[in-house]
Amino acid sequence: MQSTGTGAFGLLLALGLLGSTASHAADAGKAADTFVEECGDCHSLTPGKNKKGPSLRGVVGRSAGTVADYAGYSDAMKQAGFVWTVEKLDLYIAQPRKAVPGGRMKYDGLPDAQARANLIAYLSTMK
Amino acid sequence: MHAMTRHDSLVRPDCGAARRRDCRLRVGWRAGIAGLMGSLFAVAAHALPSYARQTGADCAACHIGAYGPQLTPYGMRFKMGGYVETDGKDGKVPLSAMVLGNYTRTSKDVATADTVERYSSNSNPAMQEASVFLAGRLAAEVGSFVQLTYSGVERVTSLDQLDLRWARSLTLNGQDSIVGVSLNTNPTLTDPFNTLGQWRFPYTSSDFGAGYGPSPLIESLAGGVIGINPYLLYDKVYAEFGLYTGLSAGTTNALNTDYLGKVKGPMPYGRLAWFDDRKSYNWMVGLSAMYGGLYPDPSDKSASDTFTNFGIDGQYQFLGNRQNIFTVNGSYVRERQTLGYTQGVLGEASSRSGTLDQFRLAGSYTWQQTWGGTLGWFETRGSRDALRFGDSFSGSPNTSGYIAQIDWTPWGKEASWGSPWANLRLGLQYTGYNRFMGGSSYVDGDGNARKARDNNTTMLFLWLAI
Repeated sequence: MQSTGTGAFGLLLALGLLGSTASHAADAGKAADTFVEECGDCHSLTPGKNKKGPSLRGVVGRSAGTVADYAGYSDAMKQAGFVWTVEKLDLYIAQPRKAVPGGRMKYDGLPDAQARANLIAYLSTMK
Repeated sequence: MHAMTRHDSLVRPDCGAARRRDCRLRVGWRAGIAGLMGSLFAVAAHALPSYARQTGADCAACHIGAYGPQLTPYGMRFKMGGYVETDGKDGKVPLSAMVLGNYTRTSKDVATADTVERYSSNSNPAMQEASVFLAGRLAAEVGSFVQLTYSGVERVTSLDQLDLRWARSLTLNGQDSIVGVSLNTNPTLTDPFNTLGQWRFPYTSSDFGAGYGPSPLIESLAGGVIGINPYLLYDKVYAEFGLYTGLSAGTTNALNTDYLGKVKGPMPYGRLAWFDDRKSYNWMVGLSAMYGGLYPDPSDKSASDTFTNFGIDGQYQFLGNRQNIFTVNGSYVRERQTLGYTQGVLGEASSRSGTLDQFRLAGSYTWQQTWGGTLGWFETRGSRDALRFGDSFSGSPNTSGYIAQIDWTPWGKEASWGSPWANLRLGLQYTGYNRFMGGSSYVDGDGNARKARDNNTTMLFLWLAI
């Protein structure tokens, strides 16, 4: 009985882990799609590849307005003086104009909090 | 960006682009302006690497399928913004070039009189066109799309398209907005959507094809007019109003474009659209209108021919993660014609008034921004007039058919070879006719009966832009 019980627990754990892994993979997939849909026209994830906006590779933990070879920053972004933390990114992606008044990014914002969280988690993996 | 969409008001609708000059000579003023019958042929539209170099964006950011001219919302805004957006770096040169080669085979050899000069009656390879572009940012708020084209079929160089813009982005009532003004030589060239004459499917077609039937005024004036079009994008509303006037015979001669005759006063053009961009998908519905009066013979202003166009159009794009893209585009234009000159002076129309109805529909699927397939439907219906449409057994210009295209665009993505310096599309296009000039058969240039399906056309094309 004990053996059967342990086996059942192990199976449940394994299924749970598999489910969790699958869920994370699904979230990552959704986040990658969100990046393409919401950000990809203007931003690249390739290091050093700047488009209308700077590369977002390594954005989490980076000081705002400091991508060396990107020349399109607004004065507001150059002088923002903060670091792109998860919380700052969340605020900025939700309401760019409110987070950085005077910024150049023409984006209305992503209102879905879960989608923002997934997106920022995805960006966090792009070191 | 079609090359050679010049209107030839004097040709029969079955005259292909390369044959238009010959047709004009053959038909002369006989047909009068009655037919702003010139069909859109040899339409070639382009993704321009100079824009990609300027913005740092890949071709796929602006274009469905990573090749022009089908615009994504990002591309639409770039255009409405006056072609001036950059990645912030200086030193970009707003020059591009492209070449389009094709091989065309029709179901049956064309009539001797309809054969393109210097070419065979069938199975023709051609360097259809080679263009250079002044395309990009000229000043902070001034940009351009100017195309100079050498036609390898007609063997002439012409000012193909001109769109010079001033535009400014601003905030109106808290909404990102754009105001601008365009100086241009073609109504609908300025439009940011892919539903009106200049920019809709097919984006290229053969000079050796039979065309798509008569065209309304709004898409038949390219190169023969110049206009000023102020426009506005406010939230989801796009509005544009233009006034066009005809270019003189001397100017069109110098530019190698087609002289329309004397234009009767300014020709107003209007465009209103509702555009909703939901990122993963977007849609628009729009209205268009144009009015124009022409004196086909500038020395005779006793009577004119006038044309009034009203149109409705719409498009839907599902973009998702850009790996599976679906689009649908459709348009309907109704033209009312008053042929005071053609009927009253020339006596070459039975009736003083007439109508033309044009329908277009196209749906496309693109996989991985590389492989594309498009199926389109074209149909034109017009008033019967045995004098105007002598090539028709029924006196009707009605023409309809379908276009199927598959294409391969290996470059144009962020990590593509050659990006942002080069782009390439290889495609195969088939045009099938159900009706041509009123029925399943008509009278060809030699005076013989020819079946509509004899004009079915297969074109293999290679399109390169740098």
